[in-house]
Amino acid sequence: MPSYTLRINNVKKTVSTDPDTPLLWVLRDLLDLTGTKFGCGKGLCGACTVQYKGNPVRSCTLAISSALEGDILTIEGLSPKEDHPVQRAWVELDVPQCGYCQSGQIMEAAALLSKNENLTDNDINAAMEGHICRCGTYSRIRKAIHLAAGKLEK
Amino acid sequence: MKSTVDRRTFIKLTTAASGALLVGVYLQSCESDKPPAMVHTFSPLIKIDTDGWVTLIAKNPEIGQGVKTSLPMILAEELGAAWNKVKVVQADYDEIYEEQWAGGSYAIILNWDLMRTAGAKVRQVLIQAASKKMNKAVSELSTANGEVRHLKSGDALPFEALLTEATQIPLPEEVEFKPLDAFEIVGKHVPQVDLDTLVNGGMRYSIDIKLPEMVYATVLKNPVHNGGTGTWDDTATRAVNGVIDIVELNNKAYGGRLIGPNSPNFVNGIAVVANTTWAAFKGAEKLKVVWDNDGAQRESSDGLMERFRAQLDHTTVERKDGDITQAQRNAASNYEAVYEVPFLAHVPMEPMNCTVDFREDLCEVWAPTQNPEALQQGLIKLFGLQPEQIKIHLPRIGGGFGRRYYVDYAMDTAILSKKMGRPVKLTWTREEDIKHDWYRPASVHKMTASMDGNGKVSGWRHILANASRKTSLGRDGRPAGTEIDEYEFPAGFIANLQLEYGHVISDVPLGQWRAVGHSATAFAVHSFLDELAFLNKRDPIDYFLEFLGPARMVPVVDEYAFDAGRLIAVVEKVRQLSNWDSSLPKGQGRGFAARKGAGSFIAEVITVSTDKNGKVKILGVDAVVDCGVVINPSGARAQVEGAILDGLSAALYGEITVKDGATVQSNFHDYRWMRMGEMPEMRIEFIENDLPPRGLGEPPLPPAAPALANAIFAATGQRIRKLPIKNVELGT
Ligand code: FES
Ligand code: FES
Repeated sequence: MPSYTLRINNVKKTVSTDPDTPLLWVLRDLLDLTGTKFGCGKGLCGACTVQYKGNPVRSCTLAISSALEGDILTIEGLSPKEDHPVQRAWVELDVPQCGYCQSGQIMEAAALLSKNENLTDNDINAAMEGHICRCGTYSRIRKAIHLAAGKLEK
Repeated sequence: MKSTVDRRTFIKLTTAASGALLVGVYLQSCESDKPPAMVHTFSPLIKIDTDGWVTLIAKNPEIGQGVKTSLPMILAEELGAAWNKVKVVQADYDEIYEEQWAGGSYAIILNWDLMRTAGAKVRQVLIQAASKKMNKAVSELSTANGEVRHLKSGDALPFEALLTEATQIPLPEEVEFKPLDAFEIVGKHVPQVDLDTLVNGGMRYSIDIKLPEMVYATVLKNPVHNGGTGTWDDTATRAVNGVIDIVELNNKAYGGRLIGPNSPNFVNGIAVVANTTWAAFKGAEKLKVVWDNDGAQRESSDGLMERFRAQLDHTTVERKDGDITQAQRNAASNYEAVYEVPFLAHVPMEPMNCTVDFREDLCEVWAPTQNPEALQQGLIKLFGLQPEQIKIHLPRIGGGFGRRYYVDYAMDTAILSKKMGRPVKLTWTREEDIKHDWYRPASVHKMTASMDGNGKVSGWRHILANASRKTSLGRDGRPAGTEIDEYEFPAGFIANLQLEYGHVISDVPLGQWRAVGHSATAFAVHSFLDELAFLNKRDPIDYFLEFLGPARMVPVVDEYAFDAGRLIAVVEKVRQLSNWDSSLPKGQGRGFAARKGAGSFIAEVITVSTDKNGKVKILGVDAVVDCGVVINPSGARAQVEGAILDGLSAALYGEITVKDGATVQSNFHDYRWMRMGEMPEMRIEFIENDLPPRGLGEPPLPPAAPALANAIFAATGQRIRKLPIKNVELGT
């Protein structure tokens, strides 16, 4: 099997696997970075979202052989002490229910805020459209994104 | 309704742990220059260490309903602990806890008195110990914030200073509860425990378990419900890098599709074992299988609905009050309507998975289960194990909604681990999850109301026909279960009332789904009441309040009575909250439904608009909830929002169809649930009172569908009698 070197959370990691292996399973099974979740495997739910070159991507449909050129950021690498403004807002508003979708939601929200801090509800809805929260935490997520935007401004 | 707490559980969990445990145990301190803390165990639920940390055991599985926070809050309250010095530890499955399941909105109902008693007993011994040390009367001492306090003098001693003495004192038989107005933790907005690991990816769900030597697996199950096993060609599968083995999962070898009345065994199929989940998935995709479907009925959902409709005329009477025939004969008019709801899947975000290490001496299981007892029983039945040979860990669960009441995926995993002789983590694909769920039963409801000249209802007949979740799992010999409860509303409110059930036997796997039967019956009952109001040219809320009659206790079944006054109160409040009596622009409408569930009372008003293409937009939801004492307002509000959203998603989109014996849907593209942009504004209010807390995870769900359908009627004049709404052509 070919071997690949990835840059994940600022650390170089080398793994041997088939070229079509989705990044999701490289993270979860080979590197034990289990904060990134499997929800649908088809790009339909957002649970597996990580950032690649600063953009949110669905790691379940991104083959490892296509993820070699840039930095990969997962929930584990978002901040050293869960103090990213998005994480702080999530804690402040007690967002999660079961919590399973939240890594993906947070990675999407963090990418969104890194590009645009002046967000309307509609901007947020559009950016978060690809994420399912089966527990229904949407209104808290939306509030938390606004709150995090406020924290960034300061 | 179940009673509150089983007497034996009560005694076990609120008395001291066995003698040996009473001796303190040293904890290894992280900071090396600090002496390690000594932990004193007071009862199976409460430990306190010499650094003043209180460890509380969370006994029920956490599926996102917040029990890992709410139950310890009650313990901490009665104990008088400081919440910021409380550590909560999730229990493994242990018979000592009994009732260690998650479902039916029962966690708080079953544990309120139990948690209070357990906390109060330990409070009592701490106070007794302090009384000696401080030389103060017991009656003058109280606990708060991790201390025993003497209010008069202002003296206080922290719990940690009392441990040695306190553990010598036997826990009292009887205790007094704290008065509710002295509560300092319960009723406050408490952020849930584990928030840090929930936002940094550190939380280990069952699907994240990793053991040394572990291999990964997935399954391909016979898509035909109640189908057999198959013959297959696995050449391509074996050629996939990382594939280790292919294993048949044949339930005939383990007692068949069912291993007890209403307890499903696993579904026939083939497992692929590999060194990563991805290799297993890829291998399973490449299997070429010819399934043996000889014994299966090969049903379609259309055909089943037809059979349900036909069964409306062949029923058993489940409840009979007064004389419905007479009432229909004497009525000025009889009005009839038929409602239908589809099968629904659960699709919790964390797909079905389990990790098992099946060793000679011990079968160790990490499972996302709402029902560890069923898991243990399943392992006993399948493998002839003794309870002490089974250890079940209960990691946090990525959603349940009733799906994880069934333990089929855990049985798969145990078989694989035993066969492979090493730990196996099994992960189902989302496709397998949707195709092999235990679905919310579809049903047909025929409602008849008998009315006098003023529209007053004197007779009520509700016939429900379907395949029951209680009997669909096997074909022979079992008594027919019923999907209509004898306390279904409006039982007790109408003198002549008849509830009937028509049962059809089907292969479609059926099970508990959030709010169980109410998710279907509420749609029929509360849509029908709205129809009656319209028929009689009355405002739906006015009509409903008259239908309820005066505030009083309405006897329903045995000792179970319905406090009509509490329902009336939430209805009146939601009327104000939603500005019900104000007018709306054309194309908009409000709908209402109110109901009792799991002991709680909920009234909802939903406001919608529809455009000329028939697209419905939910503009807002107003809900008033009386669930008794609210344990944690943050968690409680989350439960209400989630349950309402679930009800709305199901009403708008939820539909599982079956064709030629197999489920048609396969993933989130064809089994749609609401997304953020569809989340309506919700105004939720709780009634404040001192009544014992009741369930909350389910009760807000059932009124959502009828309130939405009634709102669409108000906006468009179009009556929805069949869910989901996406299938109805709407246009103004
Ligand atoms: S798991 Fe990748 S989008 Fe659902
Ligand atoms: S918190 Fe459970 S799926 Fe989002």
